[in-house]
Amino acid sequence: MKVFVLNCGSSSVKYQLFNMEDESVMAKGLVERIGSDDAILTHTPTGRDSVKRTASILDHTTAIGQVLEMLVHPEHGVIKDISEIRAVGHRVLHGGPTFTESVLINDEVKKAIRDCIPLGPLHNPANLMGILAAESNISGVPQVAVFDTAFHQTMPKHAFLYALPYVLYERHKVRRYGFHGTSHRYIARRTAELLGRPSEGLRIISCHLGNGASIAAVKDGKCIDTSMGLTPLEGLMMGTRSGDLDPAIIFYVMKHEKLSIEEMDSLLNKHSGLLGVSGISGDMREIEAGIESGDERAKVAFDMYIYRICKYIGAYSVALDGVDAIVFTAGIGENSPLLRQRVCDALGSLGVKIDAEKNDSKGKEIDITGEGSKVKVLVVPTNEELVIARDTMEIVSGLNNG
Amino acid sequence: MRIRKVAIVGAGTMGCSIAENIGEKGFQVFLVDRTDELLEEARSRIELSLNKRLEKWGITEAEKRITLGRIRLTTNLEDVATCELIIEAVQEDSDVKKKVLSDLDRICQPQAILASNTSTFSITELAEATGRPEKVIGLHFLSPVTRVKVVEIVRGLKTSEDTFEAVKGFVNSLDKTGVEVYDSPGFVTTRLIIPLLNQAMNALMEGVASASDIDSSMKLGFGLPRGPLEMADRMGLDTVLTSMEGLFRELGDFSFRPCPLLRKLVRGGHLGVKTGQGFFKYDAEGNLVEPNENVEYQGARG
Repeated sequence: MKVFVLNCGSSSVKYQLFNMEDESVMAKGLVERIGSDDAILTHTPTGRDSVKRTASILDHTTAIGQVLEMLVHPEHGVIKDISEIRAVGHRVLHGGPTFTESVLINDEVKKAIRDCIPLGPLHNPANLMGILAAESNISGVPQVAVFDTAFHQTMPKHAFLYALPYVLYERHKVRRYGFHGTSHRYIARRTAELLGRPSEGLRIISCHLGNGASIAAVKDGKCIDTSMGLTPLEGLMMGTRSGDLDPAIIFYVMKHEKLSIEEMDSLLNKHSGLLGVSGISGDMREIEAGIESGDERAKVAFDMYIYRICKYIGAYSVALDGVDAIVFTAGIGENSPLLRQRVCDALGSLGVKIDAEKNDSKGKEIDITGEGSKVKVLVVPTNEELVIARDTMEIVSGLNNG
Repeated sequence: MRIRKVAIVGAGTMGCSIAENIGEKGFQVFLVDRTDELLEEARSRIELSLNKRLEKWGITEAEKRITLGRIRLTTNLEDVATCELIIEAVQEDSDVKKKVLSDLDRICQPQAILASNTSTFSITELAEATGRPEKVIGLHFLSPVTRVKVVEIVRGLKTSEDTFEAVKGFVNSLDKTGVEVYDSPGFVTTRLIIPLLNQAMNALMEGVASASDIDSSMKLGFGLPRGPLEMADRMGLDTVLTSMEGLFRELGDFSFRPCPLLRKLVRGGHLGVKTGQGFFKYDAEGNLVEPNENVEYQGARG
């Protein structure tokens, strides 16, 4: 079975085509600058050279149409006919309180995704556009929505509520949702496999450290708490996001700098985090380079970043009543041995030890647990697209059998 | 018709501000003016505005570059031929506006919409300068365009429903609210704000209160972001006077009769923020520094 996985942004479409017989990726690619006369389609058939094409692509329907043409292209294609695609899986940012797992898309689901637009104003409209665009290109093929928030829906109420007037939860659905759910779910499952243990009884702290960063506490395969909140702004310090702060700072800064709501929003989401503190960059590689050249602010930004991860791990080890495995994933988690070393060095009180030699590795799935460590420490490259493809196949196969 | 490419004719303060806003919302923009010097000024004006917003964390360095990259400057009006919407923002002179609209009518594709950013002239009358009055509409942006969330969409007598809907959709995509107004001098915003500015000036002239206190009263009392005298300074006192005279002429209402103090300042070349002083004094960045002692009030105590 061939499954087509889509991640649609407001002016971009990322795609992967999976052959689910062996879960291999047949092709992947990206369309950028949708809505302009010089949109760029980059298509990479697995094992062959990438192809780049510039064309006038004014909407998502055209974008997906062009991608499909590429997939069956006599030279660059990977399938003979579009009809080989038996299902489409979409990444959808916000499923609100409605979706606890992936679902087959129908009119009702589309409406519910639309209803979640106030909660995900940047992504949900684009995700929905992608769904409609795929539908109009390959009508009749079942589509599945996989939500970034769904995995966290198992959080207990005392973990997801904010200490605000309760009516705000009832009236505006103000609560913790959490994000990167598809990634944390993959990590939780893969960790159990790697440890050769069932999910039941396993306590995992999953650290997704990419451009955005979040931590999830997973017990018995279910999320019990996570660091991102109503929006992806809460929790860890990130590349350009502030993460946790005293909410009163917002009023204080708005008043003294005479900022509008939009400016304050942009300050917290795009000018803070590693970039804001270091003044160098939101990219961890440049921060590490800055530290090497003796930059003081790069150093303090890095120290803050580590410290805040450790605080969350400490908190979640209590919430989980102990921890069996700490897992690092995503861009920084997979590629920064220094960061992992520093985090684990600070977790001595939890009995965490890592093997410095094994830790000296980038982008590979590896157990870096040190001798005598009470906690397993793993590096697991995340694979959200694969989770989307698996969910899609499972739901669609269920249809065919039922 | 979906609007993707937009042209703005007239790269003055307003034209630049409109171009910046439309560009940052993802549209391709052509900004047209007569000479390379004017365009050079326009480019630095837009950059300055983006830099100020960058300093206030409102945008990022990357967003600034993307916005600038979407704005093409040109002296050749023919370059706008492929645009779906063309907004004229030339000087507030009806003959000049008519000439521009008639040229655009000749150059642009037949389905293109021609909009005018006029705040005072009749759209119905301007539309007659073209062979497509059903595709002519008023699109009154307020300054500063990137901050103000409302646009008056002005229907002329012959403006078609399709034109109105297309423009309304376009305004929505700028994250602004489009209010529908009919062709009448000053529409809603100018008609209602001008008497307030005028009365603030009269109150100052009569010595009712100091400039700072007049502005504080209105800011704190009614939740205005700026007081009326500072607002007038920011709009440009010459512009305010021109609008006021126009409205007084058209509507004959004495609330629009220009305050003598306003005339005096304009004659003396004190036009507000752009000349560094008006009712208040401003620094080079346009920040309010202090009241202007030349127009200091006498005080009711005399």
